[in-house]
Amino acid sequence: MRVSDKMVYGQINDSLHKSRTGLNDALAKASSQKRVNKPSDDPMSAARVLSYKTEDQNNTQFGKVLTHAKSYLEFSEQSLGELGDVFLRVKELVLGAVNDASTNTDTRRTLAREVKQLYEQIVQVGNRKLAGKFIFGGFGTVEAPFDYKGNYKGDDGEVRVPIDREAFVAVNMPGSRIFLGKDIGSLVQPQPEPRPGTKPGTTLESEVPQSHESTGSGANQRGPASVEEDIKFAASSPRGGPGPNPNKQGINLFGLLRKIELSLEADDKLSLQITLDEIDDAHNQVTLIRSELGSRLMNLNSATESLGKVKVETKSSISQLEDEDAFKSVSDVNKNETTLKATLATSNKMMQPSLLDFLR
Amino acid sequence: MAKINSMMDVGKRAMMNSQTALQTVGHNIANKSTEGFSRQRIETQTNIPISEGRYQVGMGAKTSSVTRINDIFLEKQLRFEGTQLGFEQAKSDAMTRVEQIYNEQMNKGLNQSIGEFFNSFRELATNPESTATRTLVRDTAKFVTKDFAKAVASLRAIQGELDQQVTQQVGQINAFGKEIAQLNEKIAAIEISGAPANDQRDRRDLLIKKMSEMANVRVTEAGNGMISVTVGNSGIIVSGNSSNEITSGRVENKNGREGIRNAIFIQPAVGADPMNITKEIKNGSLGGIFEVRDVAINSLLDDVDELAFSFINGVNGIHRQGFDAFSNPGGALFAPLQNKIEAAQNMGLDAAVAKDPGRIVAGIMPNAPGDNRIANMIGELQQQRVMEQGTTTYDEFYNSIVGKVGIATEKANRSAESQKNIHAQLENIRDSVSGVSLDEEATKMIEFQKTFDASAKLIQTADEMFDTILAMKR
Repeated sequence: MRVSDKMVYGQINDSLHKSRTGLNDALAKASSQKRVNKPSDDPMSAARVLSYKTEDQNNTQFGKVLTHAKSYLEFSEQSLGELGDVFLRVKELVLGAVNDASTNTDTRRTLAREVKQLYEQIVQVGNRKLAGKFIFGGFGTVEAPFDYKGNYKGDDGEVRVPIDREAFVAVNMPGSRIFLGKDIGSLVQPQPEPRPGTKPGTTLESEVPQSHESTGSGANQRGPASVEEDIKFAASSPRGGPGPNPNKQGINLFGLLRKIELSLEADDKLSLQITLDEIDDAHNQVTLIRSELGSRLMNLNSATESLGKVKVETKSSISQLEDEDAFKSVSDVNKNETTLKATLATSNKMMQPSLLDFLR
Repeated sequence: MAKINSMMDVGKRAMMNSQTALQTVGHNIANKSTEGFSRQRIETQTNIPISEGRYQVGMGAKTSSVTRINDIFLEKQLRFEGTQLGFEQAKSDAMTRVEQIYNEQMNKGLNQSIGEFFNSFRELATNPESTATRTLVRDTAKFVTKDFAKAVASLRAIQGELDQQVTQQVGQINAFGKEIAQLNEKIAAIEISGAPANDQRDRRDLLIKKMSEMANVRVTEAGNGMISVTVGNSGIIVSGNSSNEITSGRVENKNGREGIRNAIFIQPAVGADPMNITKEIKNGSLGGIFEVRDVAINSLLDDVDELAFSFINGVNGIHRQGFDAFSNPGGALFAPLQNKIEAAQNMGLDAAVAKDPGRIVAGIMPNAPGDNRIANMIGELQQQRVMEQGTTTYDEFYNSIVGKVGIATEKANRSAESQKNIHAQLENIRDSVSGVSLDEEATKMIEFQKTFDASAKLIQTADEMFDTILAMKR
């Protein structure tokens, strides 16, 4: 083959260009430590990296939500613990009060005052706030859910927050359940609930909580639940054990305390005797709800733990898809450098000799 | 019998031949690096001999012609592959730019801002009472609209730059056409005497090759050495010694989306209506530009609009079902749009929400500040398959666009690379045939110099012979 000078120079230029491109690419990969620097480097990986990155982004958010949910639930649980203590104390008082040996009409009157204080205490607990939000008001978080008479101004809303792509956890317990004993049987439900896999339109209807028996339409849904009657009829209201009877009405805690107070004032030992069972039920009601919150907290803990694992997995998946093997990148740089040096050395040889060098 | 006079004549002519040959060697060496140059060779043949009865006496050599060493079939193939190279290269260049818009390896893009949007609603779900969180939601939503608009603007910017390239290349093609017409005239004038117009032909071949890289052109040579050049099927820009011009003009894009793009026209005759020949240019860099500009980018714009439209409607659909912070029935979050076309560009926040973040809806019930169910549902929307007849989520749809762009770019890059190799190989073969070799020229230089020396010696000998004859008289 006839080799013209232009071919030689063209060849040299070409090989130098190729070696330099190769070295440049290898250096880019080695310095960024990334195999995929733009989608065309590996289109499939690039698209998958994006979805993993979204997941990573969401995991961070879920982490924040979990922290929030945990503090919310822990605070609620603490408050319920306090509530439980109140009823232990009430039981002590009532037990003492029905005993004629240790008490008389005067001491019962003193006890009535203590019960009144305890009543005020549970109203206070009912109006607990965390970060400016009333925790026992259902969706009504900006106004105190209970007034001094024990009227409930909140609703039955269950505030659920997303802790996962698919799962939500309820972070509150509406005061109507704890203090008024509403729907106490329906509490025993698994948490976190799986996400309903339906279209937004249909989930809507199914998620609207039935506020009360007297549910109005729209605007008056959040009207104060009529607890006035409950207080009056607390003594004769049908009550059942919290456990086995679902959807049975529980105890109205305010009504109970008020009744005890009145009985103490009136020196009505017989009524006091009857309330002893109700006090036990009230304590059970609080304990049951508390354990419910406890199990949600446990759920949250395991969710936090698995989120941590998922976070690591997501990161390592991203890394596997887009990161360059450090050893490979360095050896690639070396390889390309050697090639470039070889090209330069041979180019030097190819360019030098010409017939003209040998003519004198 | 030979005459001393004719001996001197042979010597003189040999010297002249050598000089011509040496001049050609010099021409070759000087044009060693000239683009498109083919090395030239001097053709000598024996002069007409003189008959002297029973024998003939040779009368030396004469220069018959100076020809260029050139393979016209190779040139044709180079032209063809050059057209392909122009196409692939232009496509690869443009796609690399497009890819940058979808590159989220390094910078923040649409995928991330959509993710942030959904996360802002998850944040709202944990804190539906907070005005600060609502403001965050509003600002994040605003960023999403901005990022959509930015993606569209970037794609349109590339289209605009491709338009400028069209105008520029049209100008170049016209300049080449003009020069080819002038060369046609010169070549015809030179070759009518029988001498090949080497340098003019080299130049003309080079211009055709360069033109071919920009568009698919057809070249036909007439008997008188003139060529006619047609761009596409009907854009005759060179015919004989006259040249016509193609022009680039703005025409409305008939794709249903607003946008005026550069098209290519030719006026076939004076007074005739300009004819749009854009569709005929399917190859060369112009063909590549048209493909990316009118097919690839428009399809990406469709995708972005589809995503934006579905996103707006999906979010609004849920948002409208609840009540805002003031217990008013919820309105739209994004300003509702009628048309899918231009949705991404025209995307914006609803005026009421933009003014007051309290208009953002978090809950289903009125008078329930802690109600976060709408916020939860919007958060869940991220996982719902709402696009492409309920088969993909927003994220998946966008990610598949990124994959698509990546694949298209990778393919374009690879095609351009392999076409470059094919073209380089052909160039190499052409250089092997037509390129100048210094070694060869040096050898020839010595060869012709020696001939020159020897011829001079012959004349000297003849001169001495004359002297001998003149001396005989004394």
